[in-house]
Amino acid sequence: MSCCHQEKKGGLFKNLLRRNRGDSEASEKQVSKKKMVLVGTPNVGKSVIFNRLTGVYATVSNYPGTTVEVFRGTCRIGEEVFEVVDTPGMYSFMTITEEERVTRRLLFSEKPDIILHVVDAKNLERMLPMTLQLIEAGLPVMLVVNMMDEAQQIGREIDIAKLEQLLGIPVVGTAAAINKGMDLLKKRVVQYVKKRAA
Amino acid sequence: MLKSERLEYGAFKYDDRIEKAIKEIESNLKSSYNVSKRTIALLLLQEDSEIQEMVRMRESSFSQISEIVKKTKMLFTEPLYYVITVQRQKKVDEIVSKVVYTRRDSKNRLSNWLDKITVQPLTGIPILLLVLYFGLYKFVGQFGAGTLVDFIEGNIFDTYVNPWVDRMVTTYISSEPIQELLAKEYGIITLGLRYALAIILPIVGTFFLMFSIIEDSGYLPRLALLIDRVFKAIGLNGRAVIPMVLGFGCDTMATLVSRTLETRRERILATLLLSLAIPCSAQLGVVLAMLSGNTAALLIWALCVLLVFLLVGFLAARLLPGERPVFYMEVPPLRLPRLGNIIEKTLSRMQWYFLEIVPIFIIASVLIWIGRMTGIFDAIIRLAEPLMVALGLPPETAEAFLFGFFRRDYGAAGLYDMKGSLTWTQLTVASVTLTLFLPCIAQVSVMLKERGLMTTAAILAFIFPFAFLVGYVLNLILNVTGVVW
Repeated sequence: MSCCHQEKKGGLFKNLLRRNRGDSEASEKQVSKKKMVLVGTPNVGKSVIFNRLTGVYATVSNYPGTTVEVFRGTCRIGEEVFEVVDTPGMYSFMTITEEERVTRRLLFSEKPDIILHVVDAKNLERMLPMTLQLIEAGLPVMLVVNMMDEAQQIGREIDIAKLEQLLGIPVVGTAAAINKGMDLLKKRVVQYVKKRAA
Repeated sequence: MLKSERLEYGAFKYDDRIEKAIKEIESNLKSSYNVSKRTIALLLLQEDSEIQEMVRMRESSFSQISEIVKKTKMLFTEPLYYVITVQRQKKVDEIVSKVVYTRRDSKNRLSNWLDKITVQPLTGIPILLLVLYFGLYKFVGQFGAGTLVDFIEGNIFDTYVNPWVDRMVTTYISSEPIQELLAKEYGIITLGLRYALAIILPIVGTFFLMFSIIEDSGYLPRLALLIDRVFKAIGLNGRAVIPMVLGFGCDTMATLVSRTLETRRERILATLLLSLAIPCSAQLGVVLAMLSGNTAALLIWALCVLLVFLLVGFLAARLLPGERPVFYMEVPPLRLPRLGNIIEKTLSRMQWYFLEIVPIFIIASVLIWIGRMTGIFDAIIRLAEPLMVALGLPPETAEAFLFGFFRRDYGAAGLYDMKGSLTWTQLTVASVTLTLFLPCIAQVSVMLKERGLMTTAAILAFIFPFAFLVGYVLNLILNVTGVVW
């Protein structure tokens, strides 16, 4: 279903040193490309989802705050080509750290076609406030409830359909680390973008 | 679908006083924003400085808006940020109660228990010591830096590679300077590559492997919680544990990550401490290997570096103005690391590290060669000799310090090389000084990029004399108290 290719080449270190370079690169890309932005608190699996979508290796670890740069890659789903943007973690619209500010500026200045708010299924109550903020802001947001497998392991069941109803935005459950729910996610993304364009 | 339950855009309402203020501010916002005016209004109510600045530039009615914010603030005893957060959280809790079902689970209890014992000081500190002892000392220090290095260096390089290279070079190349460039004591192959492959590779490899396991298990954030209190005393918070712990992997990367810290003051503190008192994995490994034969020497080294870390942190925190931030961090669950992920991560880090160091080791070899051919090298070493003598070290150690300029680990590896001819006192003093001594070239370049020229210059101007001062004092103490081997 998807065919992905790398936009960034060179070692990790090179990428790390290329501070904010990605921002200027983005605007010159062809118009037909849709823009997808991944946001969420640190350590919810944004980078894993980014890797799965683009095939670019962003450092992944079980440690909050590993992504300190904006990473960009490309992903093709069916006929649609997406520019995928992975952002540093952000807890709330009220920003504290420089990293959070980077993410907020990006949300406020670039016009994404879709924002994937990635959250940890085990910690919904801590993460949904930002979903509400994104909805409040009138941004095109889709909620990705990640780490569904871990939530299940600790005995948490989440009614995704009900959540979708209550929030009024599309919601997808995934376990990106073990590659579960990724196809559904891609399908819903395309549906969403098409519907929005129409 | 129950229409009334559904949360349409803007349908989630705060209490009337807030909603009224939002409406009033919205009507004063005339220019267009990429996000809803409701969001802008809410951020203005919470006095977000960046948004205030943006609106001030764009709206002529900014003073009216400020009035509205002021008026609304008077209606509440708590700050508006708090009020808004609490109301939003209430809505979230309501939603969560409708979509999340919790089963009781025994697995849950086990991980809760593990959670608790890693974070509470009484049990957490012994666990930390165990992790350090087995993970760092036993695995990286003894196995990686001891067994593996001995094998690769002793059995492969000293027995086969170096004699072979020396023979080939003397047979096929007649020019003596070129012979020395490639082989013999300081050659690219016999010194540069030997340091890289025989000393640094096994140490960094074992370290990255251990670090990846600890990282993926979710132990690090718990460590952050555990030592938050210690860090507070030196003007940092638990969040700074991230760059500090990463620093034990590579100080260069850690300096980059210090960007996640909240205030400029914290970032400067972290940069200073990283360049002074946090040895990187390669340096740490070499020091562990060098001193692991003598527990007292190792303890003295660790204690010295720790003391310097705390003392300098404490004093710098007093000197640097600025507010202390509060600590909040998401703690992920403890996980059983996946073998595939660990291997991928370790390899990708080793690859990155290697691409990074091999050229520098080679360049360093060439520079040393040029320095020796032109006599500059000897001149610098002669200049540095009095310093070495002041530290109670033989003049030749100046070489190791000179290497240390190129890379931290290169210097430590140089010292490791002359291990046999030094006493334990000398090794301890040299290790401490070298650990505190200047950061490597890559780290300095990142410091320049992140902190600017002035800050970097100030940090370096402090570190250089300070490292030698500590070495000097330590040598005095060791000699006076008679703790000499």
